[in-house]
Amino acid sequence: MTPLTDKLDVQQGTLALMILRTLQVLGSLHGYGIARRIEETSGNRLKLNYGTLYPALLKLEQEGSIAAEWGQTENNRRAKYYALTPAGRKELVRETKEWHQTAELMAAFLGPWAEAS
Amino acid sequence: VRSLRAALARIAGLFSGRRADDDLRAELETHLEMETAENIRRGMAPGEARRQALLASGGMTQAAESVRDQRGLPWLEHAAADTRYAIRALRRSPVFTAVVVITLALGIGANTAIFSVVRGVLLKPLPHQDGDRLVYLRHSIEGVGGDDITFSVPEVRDFRTGMSSLAGIAEYSTWDGILRVDDGAVRIPTGLVTGNYFEVMGLAPVLGRVTRPSDDGPKAAPVAVLTHECWTNRFGGDSGVVGKQVILDGRSVTIIGVLQPAPFFPDRVDALLNMVNSDHHMGAAMVEGRSHRMTQVVARLAPGATLPQVRAQLDVVYARMRNQFKEAYDPAAQYRVAVIPLHEALGERAKLTLWLLMGAAAFVLVISAANVANLTLMRGVRREPEIVVRSALGAGPGRLRRLVLAENLVLAVSGALLGILVAIGGLGLLTSLVARYSPRSNEISLDGVVFGFTFALSVAVALLLSFLASLPQEGGLASRILAGTQRASRNLSKRRLQRALVVVQVAVTVVLLAGAGLLTRTIVRLSAVDTGLRTEEVLTMQVTQLSRDEARGNPAARAAAVVRLQEMQREIAGLPGVLGVGIGSLPLRRSGIVFDFRAEGRSLAPGEATPRAEVRVADPEYFRVAGIPLLAGREFEATDFTRANEVGWGGAVAIVNQAFADRAFPGQDPVGRRVAGFDVVKFEYGEWLTIVGVVRNTRDGGMDAEAEPVMFRPSASGGLVIRTSGDPSSVAAAATRIVRRIAPTALIEHVMTVAQFKERGLSPRRLNAVLISAFGGLALLIAAVGIAGVLAFSVGARTTEIGIRMSLGADRGRVLRMILSEGGVLLAAGLVAGVVGAFFATRLLQGLLFDVLPHDPATLISVVVTMAVIGMVACWIPALRAARIDPAITMRSL
Repeated sequence: MTPLTDKLDVQQGTLALMILRTLQVLGSLHGYGIARRIEETSGNRLKLNYGTLYPALLKLEQEGSIAAEWGQTENNRRAKYYALTPAGRKELVRETKEWHQTAELMAAFLGPWAEAS
Repeated sequence: VRSLRAALARIAGLFSGRRADDDLRAELETHLEMETAENIRRGMAPGEARRQALLASGGMTQAAESVRDQRGLPWLEHAAADTRYAIRALRRSPVFTAVVVITLALGIGANTAIFSVVRGVLLKPLPHQDGDRLVYLRHSIEGVGGDDITFSVPEVRDFRTGMSSLAGIAEYSTWDGILRVDDGAVRIPTGLVTGNYFEVMGLAPVLGRVTRPSDDGPKAAPVAVLTHECWTNRFGGDSGVVGKQVILDGRSVTIIGVLQPAPFFPDRVDALLNMVNSDHHMGAAMVEGRSHRMTQVVARLAPGATLPQVRAQLDVVYARMRNQFKEAYDPAAQYRVAVIPLHEALGERAKLTLWLLMGAAAFVLVISAANVANLTLMRGVRREPEIVVRSALGAGPGRLRRLVLAENLVLAVSGALLGILVAIGGLGLLTSLVARYSPRSNEISLDGVVFGFTFALSVAVALLLSFLASLPQEGGLASRILAGTQRASRNLSKRRLQRALVVVQVAVTVVLLAGAGLLTRTIVRLSAVDTGLRTEEVLTMQVTQLSRDEARGNPAARAAAVVRLQEMQREIAGLPGVLGVGIGSLPLRRSGIVFDFRAEGRSLAPGEATPRAEVRVADPEYFRVAGIPLLAGREFEATDFTRANEVGWGGAVAIVNQAFADRAFPGQDPVGRRVAGFDVVKFEYGEWLTIVGVVRNTRDGGMDAEAEPVMFRPSASGGLVIRTSGDPSSVAAAATRIVRRIAPTALIEHVMTVAQFKERGLSPRRLNAVLISAFGGLALLIAAVGIAGVLAFSVGARTTEIGIRMSLGADRGRVLRMILSEGGVLLAAGLVAGVVGAFFATRLLQGLLFDVLPHDPATLISVVVTMAVIGMVACWIPALRAARIDPAITMRSL
């Protein structure tokens, strides 16, 4: 197990984008699946507890970006499956673009300011 | 769109409740099971696998709570829960709740009522189209009665041609009309207006049409536009009223429409008429006489024009007029014109009284809020153990603060609701008071803005109370519990606050009582003013038989009216108990007919204004019956009446009052001297009149107005004054019957004694004084309760201490004195602060006082004594309780 101190809390606002992206790649998925996928993608540096994940899912559902439906898992468990809606796809494109811009901007800021100083 | 959709989903989420909870639990459980299964696959024992999964979940309950918060609107749900809790808690202390709610209801109710009046009369935008563009032109001169001398038609004409910054100038003349009704006649207030009046004013009809420029001129048919109020009251809102004919001033007039509801300006009227309704207004004197001023002017600013521009242009135009027509503008009189926004002109007279009442109401609210704050503080102390338990159970400071706020909101809002009932109850009285000062009293209502004000007020009170409320200090649970177990009496800062609040209450009460005292003394002084009459127990009766046009242009009708009046005089004099009947202008009332005059053999000093005098009429009986003392010369005699000139006066004689004599012939005997009045119709001085007598001044302009020059002419017209041996009102009915029989269509008014008339003039000020005194009394009561409450609390907290003192030998008297001095110090501090405050505050009252100085020592002393006595009584009750403490019982409970 990785030491606790290495674990990062999910940054505000980024979780929604991670969820949308996960659903875009993997299609319809239940909460556990989403959590596992996000944790794996982060190289287990992120840790999602329920109190973070499920409110975020509900918020996306309320905003109409994802839709939820009860279904059966391979192991015959009843589980709630989440899938992207058309509005969610558009939202993902928009937010991805925005994120890239922000990331570039921050990189420019935090990079060496040789010329300026 | 997304956030809107989310908001709707959340509102829907408020009602999803149990099913959504079940769903969530199943979903989380699945997640947990999947994670457990994964852990088992990694090789953990089943028990350990589930434990690890639970650890990773971060707490199932917390997760469910977070989701629930996201689902609905958590603050709303919390608010609802807090409110329910607050109501439950308050129900457990009914006495506290009742006292607080009633105290707040009085404070908030008073403010709501007065604010609704202030809003209706002063703040509300005018209902006129672009009402903020309307201005009133006020023409004034130096001297008594010169506040608003109005304009003449030639002056208005000059403004029309010269004032490009005014888009429209409308004329208005006050013109009482006598309306024929089934049983006789009634006088109705009307206004004569030019055809452009309604367009300039921006007023529309609700029924029919209003007048237009084609209704101007001598060839137009006489028409009337009813005001909305008259239409509702006199015509019962009958929609068939348009086209009806009424007999007004003996003329058949067609009602052409009903006006939208609007404030009356400048006077309360029943109908607005076109000019052709008055022969006088069509005559040359009116149309051509530059100093024949009886037209009020309302104008509308031209598009883009500003008030300063209008004022500047008016100065130029008016200066030109004065240069061109020097004879009409006596330089000594200092003729000037002010441009006043209409809404200000409407509120002018009510302003001072209303702001005074608003201030008094605000003071009452301050006192009641202080009292409630004190009660809440005491209750907070008693509840400290409960709060400690709550925080021990996990309620954070935020949550506790919310609970306190919820309770105070429930209290304040209940107080506000009850207060609105109080306001509804008091509004009728207030409106009738304000109707004396403002034409906009019919716009007073409890509308949305007023309720908004009330609500804001109650929220402000709640926030204030919550800010004062005691909460356990920040810090560990242990320190909070420790703090909770200590006795409240140790909390010094809180007690200081309580004492400060009591001092404020006493001080504010003293200020209010001082104001009330000054206003009451003013009323007492006014009632005691010598009217100048020998007696006020004289019955008066105004009898109007002729319309104004008949009175001016029909000598035969005038002669017949005189004969009828003298017949009434003879018959009434024959009634049992009647000692005498006179004919003439009713005493203590202004006739409103004012002339410039000159005195023979006396020229004006340079810069001295032309003297003006009011003209009245009297017959030989008049002065004796009315009780107006003759100071020099003689009364009128029958021989003065043998000649009737063309204006209808008797001989060329006059009786003047003392003020006239002093003005015309200062330091000389006026009897035998001659004066002449200026005839504005002929535009020259009339014939010389010989002064035959001088009578005493009477207070005709109100008890607080100085006497003005008055000239009496011999004429048997006006009204009847009746002196009786017993109660004058007892002959009123019989006298009215005689008048009615002799002149069936005459208008009979003012059937009352002079004393009643005088009282009627005082009643608005009396009501005003009563209202402020009621506020003062209320404040006194609340403050007394406040002092008693704080002392009682202090005694409760010091029970042990007092017990110890008593067991060490302090006797009851000593304990009594101890508590009394504790209250006495607060009382004294409040009294000092109050006297200082009153000294400054009462100066604002100056304009409302008569014959009383703003810092009248007698008033201040009696206020201080009253407050001190009531305050000490309030201290006595808790002090007695302290003295009755049984040391044995107290010591045992230690």
